[in-house]
Amino acid sequence: MPLAWLGVFFVAPIAIVAAYSFDVFTLFPGPHGFTISGWRSVVDNHVYLRLFWKSVEMSLIVSVLIVLLAYPVAYYLALSGTKRKYILLLLLIAPFLTSYLLRVLAWKVILGSQGVVNTFLFWTGIRSPDDPVTQLLYSRFAVILVLGYIWLPFVALPIFVSLESLDRRLLEAASDLGASRLRSFWAITLPLSLPGVVAAFFFVFVPTLGEFVTPSLVGGASGYMYGNQIVDLFGAGFPDWETGSVLALFLIGVVVVLTVVFSRFLQPQQVAAD
Amino acid sequence: MDVALSKNGARALRVFFALIVAFLYAPIVILLVFSFNDSDIPAFPLSGFTLRWYHDFLVNADLRAALQRSAVIAAATSVGAVVLGVLASVALARRRFRGKAAVAALLLSPLVIPYVVFGISLLLLFHTIGIANGLPTVVIGHIVITLPYTILVLVPRLEQIDASLEEAAYDLGAGRLRTFRSITLPLILPAVVSAFLIAFTTSFDEYAVASFVVGTSPTFPIYLYSALRFPSQLPQVIAVAVVVLVVSLLLVASAELGRRIAERRTPLGDVF
Repeated sequence: MPLAWLGVFFVAPIAIVAAYSFDVFTLFPGPHGFTISGWRSVVDNHVYLRLFWKSVEMSLIVSVLIVLLAYPVAYYLALSGTKRKYILLLLLIAPFLTSYLLRVLAWKVILGSQGVVNTFLFWTGIRSPDDPVTQLLYSRFAVILVLGYIWLPFVALPIFVSLESLDRRLLEAASDLGASRLRSFWAITLPLSLPGVVAAFFFVFVPTLGEFVTPSLVGGASGYMYGNQIVDLFGAGFPDWETGSVLALFLIGVVVVLTVVFSRFLQPQQVAAD
Repeated sequence: MDVALSKNGARALRVFFALIVAFLYAPIVILLVFSFNDSDIPAFPLSGFTLRWYHDFLVNADLRAALQRSAVIAAATSVGAVVLGVLASVALARRRFRGKAAVAALLLSPLVIPYVVFGISLLLLFHTIGIANGLPTVVIGHIVITLPYTILVLVPRLEQIDASLEEAAYDLGAGRLRTFRSITLPLILPAVVSAFLIAFTTSFDEYAVASFVVGTSPTFPIYLYSALRFPSQLPQVIAVAVVVLVVSLLLVASAELGRRIAERRTPLGDVF
């Protein structure tokens, strides 16, 4: 029964998208049949490809940045020997369990040209009210900041799990053999925690790659991402379901390839821990 | 001597940890402050204390209707996802069949599908077979995306339970259903409850998929999203945001507290 559900409401819809992308189905009535012209026009049209690479770049920046930020945090929780590590971990993860949109809202309030940061600067006289810092909101920077903010607690989790399961006796042995802490870190801790790091990276990179909500709220024109393009092609303005379907299928293809490549690092149990 | 961290290293990491936590909570605190600020726009300097915004949202009928819709959707979603999740998990944990790896991969695949693509796929499906969008279509979509979470919670729990308990029940003449009801279900109940909660909260907060198939009556996240585009409603929305954020933080904290108490009581607790 679960399989039937997924078959009807998950696999079938994607098959229909595929049908639209090959023009077997169309939005407007008229002569149609199997054609790859939709695919060809997307491949030939550099606008879409450039947008895709821009989204890859933004997602990469977000994922790498927050994995780098989350690693020391997870390291502290897992290895400093603090007794309250689970409470501190909960403190760290709790924001992730609250509403996504509301956390985006918070940044919109903070970053706007009449927002908290700018009016604070006016108030304290650091900037004049005629000269607000406009790059804060509706920019690529805003999208990266907000996505990083949203996913940071989440990436700490798999890294923490992999560091926690590290056998401390390995570090003791290294220390007895005269290795410095730095050396043990490079030779033991980092390699053994790598699966957690890779899993963390994957679970941020994939959803941010298809992201459209955050960029549409704080991205403006320069923060526009691939996901927004797909939405707009299905939107009310100038719908082009064929092109939209091609872009959507392409994104699925990329995600499938990434999942296969990363799958040997992914242990579902790590996700279940939250 | 500590092998993982020097004294100074530990101190530096503690400071870093505090900074990250401050970064995570600062926006929430800022919302809290401005939800009581007596001004139409959230800006410095602060201009006095008011409860006006909380009052405004309490009497806002559209907002309350949206909250109600989301609650209904989340309830229906979590029941559906947990039922399907239990069926799938029992099959994955207890039965042996051909193509199990492929089945497991399919069951978990909604975890990685970009929601924008899935939302559009559903939109096209309902368009093609001629079903009008509305609350039921949102529930259908939400069950698909929450199903893998329920499986990820349920399967590990089922694997911890000794299958010989169930075999003993069969030997004593109990049927499949009876065994499930009086042996399996009580043992996996904690996992069922957390699967239910995860599905509920995910659905309640889900915007992306819902935005494509919701039709004309907005759910709470969709209401929020459109309210974000009208600055006049901003202070009210901030007040709602504070209520929702504080309630969900309290829920998380109390769930953790409850788990700790339960762990102390039941001998099975330590396997979580």
